[in-house]
Amino acid sequence: MKNRLKVLRDWSQADLAARLEVSRQSVNAIETGKYDPSLPLAFKLARLFESTIEEIFTDEN
Amino acid sequence: MESRISSPARNRAEDRVLFIVIPLFVLDAILGIWGFHYHHLHPTGLFAYLCAFIATLPCFAYILVYGLYLAEEKDEFQHWLTVQSMLWGIGVTLSVTTFWGMLEKYDPTVSRMDISSVQFLFLCVAAVSLLVYRWRYR
Repeated sequence: MKNRLKVLRDWSQADLAARLEVSRQSVNAIETGKYDPSLPLAFKLARLFESTIEEIFTDEN
Repeated sequence: MESRISSPARNRAEDRVLFIVIPLFVLDAILGIWGFHYHHLHPTGLFAYLCAFIATLPCFAYILVYGLYLAEEKDEFQHWLTVQSMLWGIGVTLSVTTFWGMLEKYDPTVSRMDISSVQFLFLCVAAVSLLVYRWRYR
């Protein structure tokens, strides 16, 4: 799944990880599209960026 | 801001390994040396079952720590990595033991696999695959 995390975030991966209460590894894996987050984590990201899930993640199909 | 959040679940798991699993392994080793090396015990019957249970306690404890970690880990990606590494451990262990079992069946001259080493094989494969995953997603 593609995402705009890198474009949206003004912080480092580590800062974003701290805000999400996950490891930096997790943020890196999501950002590079190697791991698709669960709905709760996707909602958490959307709330953090004050946007919708669809604005952050796009389905490749 | 801190660069890495220390996972409370991981910290608890590490504490459990350090203060429960490792002391149990040490106690097992001491009991084993004391009983079998110095006193040449040859347990039979119920005592043999008791010895086997005591010898397996650290392994039970390790499995329990592994399970508790999976239940408590809130970071879903770390949880996923651990599950993936365990799947590698299960897959390789089942493949190797099945292959060796067949080999023992067809070639009686081949040395028999010690069943108690199966968990060690699983833990080694799971640990190595976890390291590979962590390196891959560093």
